[in-house]
Amino acid sequence: MTRLTILRVVSKWMVPFILLFALYVQAHGDLGPGGGFQAGVIFAAGIILYSLVFGLEAGRRVFPPRVAESLAALGILLYAGTGWAGLLVGGWYLDFPALNPHHPSHGQHWGIFAVELGVGLAVASVMTSIFYAFAGRRGSQ
Amino acid sequence: MSRLPTLGDQWVVIPLLVLLVCTAITIIRMRSLMAAVLLTGIYSFLSASWMLLLDAPDVAFTEAAVGAGLSTVLMLATLALTSRDAKPPVRRPWGPLFVVVVTGAALVYGTLDMPHYGDPDAPAQRYPSPSYVERTAAETEIRNVVTVVLASYRGYDTLGETTVIFTAGIGVLLLLRGRARRMGTREREKS
Amino acid sequence: METVIAVLSWFCLVTGSAFAIIGGIGLLRLPDFYTRMHGGGITDTLGAGLIMVGLSLQAGLSLITVKLLLILVFSLVASPTAGYALAKSARTHGLEPWKREDDR
Repeated sequence: MTRLTILRVVSKWMVPFILLFALYVQAHGDLGPGGGFQAGVIFAAGIILYSLVFGLEAGRRVFPPRVAESLAALGILLYAGTGWAGLLVGGWYLDFPALNPHHPSHGQHWGIFAVELGVGLAVASVMTSIFYAFAGRRGSQ
Repeated sequence: MSRLPTLGDQWVVIPLLVLLVCTAITIIRMRSLMAAVLLTGIYSFLSASWMLLLDAPDVAFTEAAVGAGLSTVLMLATLALTSRDAKPPVRRPWGPLFVVVVTGAALVYGTLDMPHYGDPDAPAQRYPSPSYVERTAAETEIRNVVTVVLASYRGYDTLGETTVIFTAGIGVLLLLRGRARRMGTREREKS
Repeated sequence: METVIAVLSWFCLVTGSAFAIIGGIGLLRLPDFYTRMHGGGITDTLGAGLIMVGLSLQAGLSLITVKLLLILVFSLVASPTAGYALAKSARTHGLEPWKREDDR
């Protein structure tokens, strides 16, 4: 479709930067504004931009809906599972300092990293699944 | 009358809040739903700027990404499935207007008792926030207090939030995918 | 030297804000959808660009300047593309441009 050339070229350049920025925000939640929620939303926005410009089929090939649903559940499981890890080492549920008794601050760091990863996965996958559920349906059924 | 922030940024905050009110009134009075959705995006953007002025960059970030970005796209997708214009109201809403005005007046009367803006002796500032800031400096090496409070000191609440998002996704999928499957079987039976 | 940079940055900031206001007036007063896109385009490129340049001059040579210039590049690429997409989709769906013969 030649009439979408400009949009295709520009999105081809922008989508990798958007996804990279989402990963940056996810990883830098400790040092600046950021964290799991923002990273998940930005990642979903990148995928949605790709689907809008290159077609829904191309978007579904890159991030299949089944994978999205599984990743959402995996994110929640990661979060709850980190809480269980606190229980397994002898502390409370979601007790991060107990994960590393010699260095409680390291335990906090790892725990926060794991739960933020879970949150980011869950939010990105849920937003993408909702978009896939809405898009591509004919109106006034 | 509450004390305004004394750094001179009231010249930016007050026009921003006035713009927020104007946008809200315009959204209510709009007949065209597409314009209302885009105005909601503008409202989210103005809220993000206002939160940034209140020194809350994490919240501003989330508000801009979710409200001005994703929410507008999803609402436009919904509009493509339903109608473009709101239906006109069927009767004069005097009863609901009276209830809303009375409740609003009661709430405004309640805010007259609240502590001044930025008051260091307010109950919200005395407990538990200073302890969180001190404990973050003492117990962790992470510099972003908001992330530590969100993920560690109040980790249960964040688990609940994430589960709510997940449940919302499941709800949408159940509603929309089940319907598509039923529509698909009906079309197969017709042909 | 300090005063020169300060004066230059304030000049850029004020001019950028003036262009943003001009773009806003254009959005309201111009007769047609396509002409109104010009107003929006001025706000995005000249307005935002001059404000960013003014802020970079005030920040000096630091990480903040690099971030500001990156934001400027991103905005210069994304906003005109969005304007183009809007105008193209309006043309495809048959919105006719305003001609001088129409009385407005």
